[in-house]
Amino acid sequence: MQTLLKIAGLISLLLGVTRVQAQPLHDIIDTFIVTAQGESSSIQSASLDDYGFARRVYLDLTGRIPTVSELLEFVGDSEPQKREVLVERLLASPAYARHMQYTFDVMFMERLPKKHVPPEEFQTYLRKSFAENKPYNRLATEILTADGSVPELRAASRFLLDREIKREETVRAIGRVFLGRDLQCAQCHNHPNVDGYLQQHYYGVAAFLQRSYLFTDPSSKVVSIGDKIEGDVTFTSVFTGEDGKTQPRLLGLPEIQDPQQEEQPYEVKPDSKNRGVPKYSRRLQLAPAMTSSDNLAFRQNIANRIWAMMVGQGFVEPLDMFHEGNAASHPELLTALANDFMLHDYDIKYLIKEIVMTQTYQRQSELKVQDFADGNSRYLNGTLKPLSPEQFAWSLLQAVGVVEKTERSVIAALEKEDANFKEATAQSAVLIEGKVSVALKSQIDSIVKVFAGSNAASRFDASADHALYLLNGPEVAKWLAAGQDMLLDQLLKVDDNQALVSRVFLTIYSRMPSDPELKLAVEFLSVGEQGREEAVRELVRTLLCSAEFRFNK
Amino acid sequence: MTMRRNAGCNTIDHHVTRRQFMGTGAMAGAMAGFGSLLTPAMAGEMKSKQKQILQVYLQGGVSQFEAWDPKPGTKYGGPFRPISTSVPGLQICELLPYTASKMHLLSVVRSINLETDDHTVGRLFMEKGRKNGDYPFVGAVASKYLTTPDNPLPGYVHITTRGIVDQTAGFLESKHAMMRLEGVKPPTNLERPQGVPKELAIRAEGLRKQLNNQFGGKRSRALIDSYDTSFEQAQQLMARADLFEKQDEKELDRYGRHWFGRRCLLAKTLLEEGVTCVKVTHHGYDTHAENFNFHVEQLDEFDKTFATLLGDIEERGMLDNVLVVIYSEFGRTPKVNHKYGRDHWGKSFSIALGGCGIQPGGVIGATNADGTEVSEREVDGAHLFHTYMQAVGIDSQSNHALDGRAVPIGDPVAAPIKELLS
Repeated sequence: MQTLLKIAGLISLLLGVTRVQAQPLHDIIDTFIVTAQGESSSIQSASLDDYGFARRVYLDLTGRIPTVSELLEFVGDSEPQKREVLVERLLASPAYARHMQYTFDVMFMERLPKKHVPPEEFQTYLRKSFAENKPYNRLATEILTADGSVPELRAASRFLLDREIKREETVRAIGRVFLGRDLQCAQCHNHPNVDGYLQQHYYGVAAFLQRSYLFTDPSSKVVSIGDKIEGDVTFTSVFTGEDGKTQPRLLGLPEIQDPQQEEQPYEVKPDSKNRGVPKYSRRLQLAPAMTSSDNLAFRQNIANRIWAMMVGQGFVEPLDMFHEGNAASHPELLTALANDFMLHDYDIKYLIKEIVMTQTYQRQSELKVQDFADGNSRYLNGTLKPLSPEQFAWSLLQAVGVVEKTERSVIAALEKEDANFKEATAQSAVLIEGKVSVALKSQIDSIVKVFAGSNAASRFDASADHALYLLNGPEVAKWLAAGQDMLLDQLLKVDDNQALVSRVFLTIYSRMPSDPELKLAVEFLSVGEQGREEAVRELVRTLLCSAEFRFNK
Repeated sequence: MTMRRNAGCNTIDHHVTRRQFMGTGAMAGAMAGFGSLLTPAMAGEMKSKQKQILQVYLQGGVSQFEAWDPKPGTKYGGPFRPISTSVPGLQICELLPYTASKMHLLSVVRSINLETDDHTVGRLFMEKGRKNGDYPFVGAVASKYLTTPDNPLPGYVHITTRGIVDQTAGFLESKHAMMRLEGVKPPTNLERPQGVPKELAIRAEGLRKQLNNQFGGKRSRALIDSYDTSFEQAQQLMARADLFEKQDEKELDRYGRHWFGRRCLLAKTLLEEGVTCVKVTHHGYDTHAENFNFHVEQLDEFDKTFATLLGDIEERGMLDNVLVVIYSEFGRTPKVNHKYGRDHWGKSFSIALGGCGIQPGGVIGATNADGTEVSEREVDGAHLFHTYMQAVGIDSQSNHALDGRAVPIGDPVAAPIKELLS
């Protein structure tokens, strides 16, 4: 009966029409994944213990590892609902907005340098959007609509303006980021290897922007996007020589026909002094068409991306290769997730919380059966997720004690300013986090620059200069120096080597050492009083250089 | 190609046509002589040796008129004369006398049209073989497919000064991205911090490996292994810090004591050590003013040094396995502007290449009499990319195999320049 109910819920989600959900989404997800895996459930990994769960959710929801006190407080809590309580607390924290800002900034802008809109303004806009949990369809609408002419939404126009609405970059970005399809290869011909990517899809997106242009205000020199009433899209296949043309359209959806042109087609006629504003703008049809419930690709793409962000692997991989020849691993579940997200008004926190509450999310990355590596695609075990450069930077500064030291000085300054300052309110948390982020920005940026250096995408990257930075970099040496009132000083106060090693493991790996690890590390420290400081420092550095610290396991 | 009158110089007989390898006779002799020096075992060893690439990038856009495609006595030809080279009938500009004596090792492509006059677009097209898109550079592709697994050194090293940050690895793993060396200085953070005794550092490295083995034991290994590799590469680079130590004085005398000389000497060392692709940049060819004076200075520095490097590579028997390419992001305008400069010109320019099975002594394509457009065998960055790849034994018409997508290595709309491939 239970299963029947769940399946009924799933079917209603598949149809995407109603919200007769008998079961919460996280149950539906688990039911579906367990049903789909059939007999292989025997190789399914065990659930995370409290230490592992805390590390994973802190990284996934706040973008950094937990402090030792946050970790021990959670582990020591005997409340049965404590995982849900922690998830809700983290989603409400200012660090959540910060982490989402980083993640979506890289997704939307791929670390493109500044052109017309300062990246910081776009990032602040994103942070505010996530702090207020702006529905995703609204966020997408703002980003696809903002033309840079309205000051309040100028920041959101970075997506289009900093690509200078150049066809190659902009059409490709819209296809990848919002539709999950890299249409680049369909620019000159129907995609040679992918059946579903047609030239008309590429040019259908291009047609929304064909009549738009960059307008530079002659007095302020501010650049924004203007629109005209003419300009059609035609194309020729370099393979077949066939010509085609298209109105604006998204993938297989119908072309959007222009209305009958009015006698006075312009609100503002374009000239050297005025940004063109037509009564009917093709560009402004993009956001409504994109976010329309007719456009399944929009919600499937974002559901797949958020799922991948949390679980480490999309139903469709690569994330921008949705097509018939690359079917989703769990197509019905993906559609169900997408539809439920839409029915919940694109509430991002809702979707994330439901994913985190699944057993699927809470599975260990350690395999139950040796040499069994095929479980990933079926979510039988947790996926090893490389930390993004930003997650790594915050975790590194957290581990060596820079974050907490900065927090202490921020709080001290606030208390000095206001004798009645109370640290433990939600308002104070936002204030403190904001000031800490500002104080740490240059250090975070310098680490991100090293770890994202050769790679625009957010995928995992390991090269010798990353390793050299951690092994030999002067920054790391400074953070690990004695007398800084940070991690090293705290450790040097601990005389007992076993206690010291436990502290190091809790700080860096967010867990206790196993017996063999304890033995190894204590042995490493057995150098006599003379070389103790160096040995402790190298123990810390070695853990920071190890794979376990580099991944969300 | 038509005969043309040449008012400035007597040696007008420098017309050559595509597919016409006038050096073939001379080369056949040279090859036979060279071949006889080799025992069969040595030849076998050379055959199995890793293919390598040396890229000499003349940043800013060297003038084709003042280098590989002189047009003496024509409207835009400029003041310099052509000179004969070691290939009968092939002439290049008189600013390259040493290189001229090595032309039997190289071929020239005179018919490149990139349809862009933009530095970045031109540079990316010449490196990626695609005009746009997130594709890997020549050096990154070479690093991926040619570097043997036991090679401790990075696969793609660029010796340069200026900090242009390109995404060189594209969708390939970042260990194939360009490692940038600031001139002949060692890589950043190569030196261990003070106060870490060597013995302790060795124990720490051992501990790191043990921790990783434990962590990786029951997890899927691919990511952990690649992270591990980056630390091994770092350790190996640290162990080879000697590569960046003081350069040999006698060698510096031969290569030249200027920056370009030092860089080319380091490039030779890195090639000998087995780095798959070494790129050396010679800056300063963007001659919008005083084009002719600047080319005298620039090419004077380039010519002797490059010829020395090429000669050394040949003498060591490495040229069979090293593809050498001298290139820019575009050439320079035929028209000389009012500041005696030549501006950006991607419509008809030249490069030179040789080694690794490239047919030597040839000229591919031609420009018209005034050099204002390509008149024969037009090619672009995509054709060149295919040609480099085929020369080093990478099938550019096959696909990169990536996480579920097949991406053609070279642009499918172009093909290699077959005449250059033996």
